[in-house]
Amino acid sequence: MLIYAKRLAAMLAVAGLLGGGSTAVALASHHHHHHHTMSGIPQHNGGDHDSDNNGGPSDGDGNV
Amino acid sequence: MTTRRNSLTLAIPVALIALLTIAALALAAGGGSESKLHVARRPAAFAWLHPTVVPAGWRTLRLPGSAATVSAPASWEAARSDAGTKTLVSRGPSGQIVGYLNATPRQGNERAASWASFRVAHNRHEGDREVRRLAAARDLRFRSATGSCVMDSYLTSSGNRYREIACLVAGRSATTVIVAAAPPSRWHGERSLLQRAVSAFTT
Repeated sequence: MLIYAKRLAAMLAVAGLLGGGSTAVALASHHHHHHHTMSGIPQHNGGDHDSDNNGGPSDGDGNV
Repeated sequence: MTTRRNSLTLAIPVALIALLTIAALALAAGGGSESKLHVARRPAAFAWLHPTVVPAGWRTLRLPGSAATVSAPASWEAARSDAGTKTLVSRGPSGQIVGYLNATPRQGNERAASWASFRVAHNRHEGDREVRRLAAARDLRFRSATGSCVMDSYLTSSGNRYREIACLVAGRSATTVIVAAAPPSRWHGERSLLQRAVSAFTT
């Protein structure tokens, strides 16, 4: 009985560690999909100053 | 004897899994792409950043529907920019931009932890060339806000070089990007003013 109790405790501990590991996986994979939303503030060509417009500095939008 | 063997049989894989998990956690915490690119928490390159009130005589523009404000000397002119954003520029005698400030609400995918790489990649994606990351930091203190900043330089597709400070700043009610830029040839003269504008930025 004691052995089964030890096994259960060990398995719970491993499950806990693996649960924490999922955060690490999420953090590690974050950089693969964070670029360039195409929604958001509409772009136009009137003083936006994106490089594709007037040659000015890139503004703070996340669009192209 | 059987009990000892059973315990040993269980203990070895458990220990291995635990070690692998700890190693994975350590790698994720310290080995992410931003860490490899040396995003410092309090680097000397951003020692100038001290939250400050807007200097007397400056003008302030508030972003529509946002608490964010961007300020510049009264001589700077408001430039037309995307809806929901504000831009202030200073121009030279021939109309060229010598100082540039832009505030834009967060678009959705910008993240504090990855801001530096996001911004540099974004500039490249816009067609900028020779994009060079000069410095980056996160957990920087702004007025009632915290931000991640990057300093970089680039050559636009139309042949204009700029150096910029770009920060993603998270306040109580809004997360906003502030960009302060100037041509490298004017950076020395404009730097202090641009840094004050970033230090006075609110969101």
